Amino acid sequence: MNEKSQSLTRRGFLTEALWGTCLAGLGGLAGMAGARSRRNRTVWQIDPAKCVACGRCATNCVLQQSAVKCVHTFAMCGYCRICFGFFEPQPHALHEGAENQLCPMGALGRRFVEDPYYEYTVDEAMCIGCGKCVKGCNAFGNGSLHLQVRHDRCVNCNVCSIADACPSGAFRRVPADHPYLFKGGHT
Amino acid sequence: MPKGIMDNRIVAGIIVAAAVGAAILAVIRLDIFGRTEVPVQYQYKLDQIAEVDPNLILYSELPRQIETGFRQARGVAIDANGSVFVAGDSRISVFDLAGQRVKTIDVPAGPQCLALAEDGTIYVGTKDHVEVYDAAGQQAGVWPTVGPEAFVTSIALGKDDVFVADAGRRTVLRFDRQGKAMGRIGDKDPNRGTEGFVVPSPHFDLAMAPDGLLRVVNPGRHRIEAYTTDGQLEVSWGRFGSDVEGFTGCCNPVSLAMLPDGGFVTAEKGVVRVKVFGPDGRFVGVVAGPRQLIGSAGEVCQTVDQCQNSGFDVAADRQGRVYVLDTQRNIVRIFEKKSKPA
Repeated sequence: MNEKSQSLTRRGFLTEALWGTCLAGLGGLAGMAGARSRRNRTVWQIDPAKCVACGRCATNCVLQQSAVKCVHTFAMCGYCRICFGFFEPQPHALHEGAENQLCPMGALGRRFVEDPYYEYTVDEAMCIGCGKCVKGCNAFGNGSLHLQVRHDRCVNCNVCSIADACPSGAFRRVPADHPYLFKGGHT
Repeated sequence: MPKGIMDNRIVAGIIVAAAVGAAILAVIRLDIFGRTEVPVQYQYKLDQIAEVDPNLILYSELPRQIETGFRQARGVAIDANGSVFVAGDSRISVFDLAGQRVKTIDVPAGPQCLALAEDGTIYVGTKDHVEVYDAAGQQAGVWPTVGPEAFVTSIALGKDDVFVADAGRRTVLRFDRQGKAMGRIGDKDPNRGTEGFVVPSPHFDLAMAPDGLLRVVNPGRHRIEAYTTDGQLEVSWGRFGSDVEGFTGCCNPVSLAMLPDGGFVTAEKGVVRVKVFGPDGRFVGVVAGPRQLIGSAGEVCQTVDQCQNSGFDVAADRQGRVYVLDTQRNIVRIFEKKSKPA
């Protein structure tokens, strides 16, 4: 009698499995509804005060090309002739030749304004979010270059794989109606 | 057990094993500990330009360091008696030769820099004006604001003059000792052959040399310029370079101090190092390199705060000792020239 009550017949197993599947499905639906609701209210963003430009934004995004791009707060920039966000630490020459550029993708543009000032702009289509320019700009300059998640590209994963890998905890959820944390206080 | 019956325990065991396997796979694939190695082409290393030949390091650090107690220290100066004056937060702290705090002078406006006169008068630069304190630490005067968008970063004293470096407007202002404006130095003027100061960040230093010429750092042009007190550019020296003799980065040096023999001490940010030059601008040697100052030659800084606070201030006493204000750790480090072997 005890053996019969403990053992599971095939019909019983299938019944239990069907109930379990239905319950799991209901749970999943509830989770998706909650997550979507949460996603609609918040998005992922990088806090530039915490970001250490480690390079993982370029390697860990689920997208083929990372949704993280370098952005430039022009009001903070020194417009330096020798910008170490643009140039390699040991440039061969102080011109825009590829061998002198810090960016592995050539995504930073340099335009002469007036002696001795140059303007630097980011080509987002080329930028992969590796943050080398951010490192150079922070170390030598005013830190006007910084990384931000671009929301015309980001798919707003529930669990951001870059956030999971970020060594400095720079990723956080921000309101979707103020999705950016630009340096200089603009949102 | 009858045919077609499955034991509960086996089913539970299969489910648990599958769950554990999925969890292990998720941990490995997601790399939640962030240990994925970043490809070398995305790494920013400064080893090649930051390493200093040990034979060039001419100074050794004294064991005693002065803990300033500031949340943010900004400037250091040494008086004729060897007392160390440190400006930071909303006050000036004075330390004796043993490193003990002996006096505190409140400066509510927030001191950025200071200069010490022979009679003990203290000229304190705040963001947009100069305040004067007597030897007892009592406020003796507040000068008018130097102008909109001003950012005072350094003060130097001439025989009868007070020179104020304004990084915000990229100019040097000349006052008499009573605060009367006497003129400006270094503005762009083709007639005088001056190109103007290039000051991309709030690091703009100057010092009065024993020869009577005012030395002003032009950080965006990587050189030190010598002016007469009425603004005539006499000579300049310094160059951009990734080697130890040059000034690297976008705008260096950030600080300048005079040695008793007329030589110069400079401090740079980015590649954080303190160097010594002769009176003629010839490179002499290194006081301390990145390894001595921040513990690393490859990784110069991590967070934005660390990076933006790597512009150390320097001063020198009458014995030629070099004082380095470490604005990351808010301490004063003292370096003495190594004695030559017999």
